[in-house]
Amino acid sequence: MPLEAEDVKALRLQWLLSRALVVPVSIAVFAMARFLLKYRLDDDLDALRAEIWAKLDAHQGPVIWAANHLTLIDSFLVYWAVFPIDRLLEDRRIPWSTPEYTNYYKLGGPVQSALVRALLYLCRCIPFLRGGEDAASESWRQKAFDKCVWVLREGGAVFVYPEAGRSRSGWLEPRRPKDFLGKLALDVPGSKFLCVYLRADGQIATTAAPAKGAKLRVAADLIDGVLPGETNARDISQRLFDRLAELQLEWWKGSDMARNCAGNDVVDLKGALLRENFSDDLSEADQEWLERHLTPRELKYLAEQGPASLFKTFWRFFCAKEACHKALGRAVIVVPNGAFHEIEIDLFRRKATHIPTGLQLDLRFTDDDEDKLHCVAVLRGGFIGDEETEGDILWAVGEVPSGTSPGAFVRDLALDMIASSNDEIRTASRLALTENSGLPGVLWRGKPQEWSLSLSHSGRYAAASFMIS
Amino acid sequence: MAFMRKQAVVEAVDVNTLTPEDTEKRITAGVKKYATNEANYAAADANTPYLGHIVGMGIESSNLADITMSIERQFLTKMTTKTPSGSSSEYTLTAGELGKLRILDGQDALAATPGLSVKMLMDLGHMPKNDGYLEKVMSFAYVMATGDGWKMADALKKMAGKAEKLADGERSEALANLKTLVGQAKDYDALLADASKLAASKAKAYANDKAGFDALNTELNLTLEKIKGVSAGGDAAALAKLRGEEAEIRTRLKMSHAKLRVSQEVSDAAGKRRPIEDKKVAEVRAGLQEAVALAEKLS
Repeated sequence: MPLEAEDVKALRLQWLLSRALVVPVSIAVFAMARFLLKYRLDDDLDALRAEIWAKLDAHQGPVIWAANHLTLIDSFLVYWAVFPIDRLLEDRRIPWSTPEYTNYYKLGGPVQSALVRALLYLCRCIPFLRGGEDAASESWRQKAFDKCVWVLREGGAVFVYPEAGRSRSGWLEPRRPKDFLGKLALDVPGSKFLCVYLRADGQIATTAAPAKGAKLRVAADLIDGVLPGETNARDISQRLFDRLAELQLEWWKGSDMARNCAGNDVVDLKGALLRENFSDDLSEADQEWLERHLTPRELKYLAEQGPASLFKTFWRFFCAKEACHKALGRAVIVVPNGAFHEIEIDLFRRKATHIPTGLQLDLRFTDDDEDKLHCVAVLRGGFIGDEETEGDILWAVGEVPSGTSPGAFVRDLALDMIASSNDEIRTASRLALTENSGLPGVLWRGKPQEWSLSLSHSGRYAAASFMIS
Repeated sequence: MAFMRKQAVVEAVDVNTLTPEDTEKRITAGVKKYATNEANYAAADANTPYLGHIVGMGIESSNLADITMSIERQFLTKMTTKTPSGSSSEYTLTAGELGKLRILDGQDALAATPGLSVKMLMDLGHMPKNDGYLEKVMSFAYVMATGDGWKMADALKKMAGKAEKLADGERSEALANLKTLVGQAKDYDALLADASKLAASKAKAYANDKAGFDALNTELNLTLEKIKGVSAGGDAAALAKLRGEEAEIRTRLKMSHAKLRVSQEVSDAAGKRRPIEDKKVAEVRAGLQEAVALAEKLS
């Protein structure tokens, strides 16, 4: 939809003013990042910049900047990391940003708010309103989209977060692409995507800003916007998300943090000790005991399910919490034993939230029958899978033979499962189990593998899971 | 409610009339039904972990809350007066009439052994502090650190046992894995030998938690700034939404603070070693060295 004349006029004025002040504003932003927040950029950044700018110099058309999103100041940090100071006069390469209106435009008292707005105006911001399904919000989004199209058609650059918000798991999931950037590229076919994955070392979760003094590492690439024959926004977005996911893997290769973070838990529903806080017909439970395990929101959901589902629903919550506890442990987020309230489960959406960090995990019940429950949880490193798409996590649930130690059985079960799912390994004798900080791991060819192995046993059952991504 | 608790009826005793040793015995007896490792349970003392099968009682995590509730059922205390703290729904327990012992959310985070459960009761003021008894109680940090060591030694022994039975091709691959395990065990042995190194390794978890706590404070300040900005505009719906966000962040901050307390305690305690920790560390180091020697015979 074409913009109205007054919108174009306003954009032209904003462009003119920001162009006039681009050098002092940019230097102020860079100085703030470097000297006030004491951020450091990766030592290899010069080489990356040279490579990216060689590609940009070879492309005369518009550019859509697309980056992962973890903090509220990512746009500034990506701009600082990618844009060399000696190129600040290359006006059309300086990206327009698309910040969320509710996050930035009403901050503090009138003076502070006016200053922030002025800065955002000079930083070429087009405010977005991501929430709201009403007509006004829809219209706002459409107008913001049209402004981006206008900027690109004028040969400029826009910066949009493909995930449309900060990642609550700290992981960019390529199998959940959003169409916005694909649509944008279709409207401006000559554009290219500048894909950027920027993250501070040690940045685990979504925060307002990286920790002061953090080192920022970047992986980036310039790729085609629309390929010949591409007419579907989803296909274009998928290609963009796939490239960002590759850059994400590149970034994680240089990180000390564990990339794959998953966990599992099995519950034997016939275990006698599981029933002792319930009435004989399992339709009632000791309220105090329930409250020790469940948050008020979970208790409400439990009550809504009715007495017939009380027992199983409670253990679904428990099983999911235990699986999340293990997945979080991989990310060095220790949930103290018994701190059940720190993890809140949404059984309907199959999501879990670690309340102190706000991290969100995906859940999947692979076994849910009269005898047992088995849940896997994924924080990061791969896709959990669903009814339509295979995930990156494999699991096995087995019955412990009588007279066998469940601990020994689950270890053998895990190694057999891993060996049988890999043509190169084939036999479990090539693998070994290891323990590191209380977490199980796997050795193959003498090297620790990042498979996020998780083991669990309960009563008659044992279960293991690992990630293949 | 028609529902009745199935536990045997226990007559609660004023915890102040008991010695720490008697309290510990009662606590241990109270968890008997949940212990799946009978041998370890039979030999349990103040420092036997509730969880874990190698040196622990083998209690499942699904019964963790039952441990705490078992303690609550067995003892009476004078710390029964609810005193408001923080937000309207939060309270602490202060001295009052003799009544049911109540362990509040998060207070049992470090109570991983019967001895640490007794320490928790002392720390919360339910019973007087007894330094003589506490000398015999291993800190939570060392319960975790030695537990990890036992797991590692166990994994190494099992792998050595397996490798021994394998033939040529498979054996060489198994030995490569075994060599790595031996290296890891030696590294961990060296870590346990040096309290300052162990403290540095535990400091990582603390640093993570501290960074998370600081980030949340920043998030709270930002939300307060947004509230300030929206308040001037008179948008009631936006203001209500932001107030909700503020309450959510404050809840997260409270939990984050509790978590920080645990990791700080672990980080601090890992650097301090008393005779009881020296003794337990020596035991696990001997276990690791024995497993290493066994594995090295094969290579």
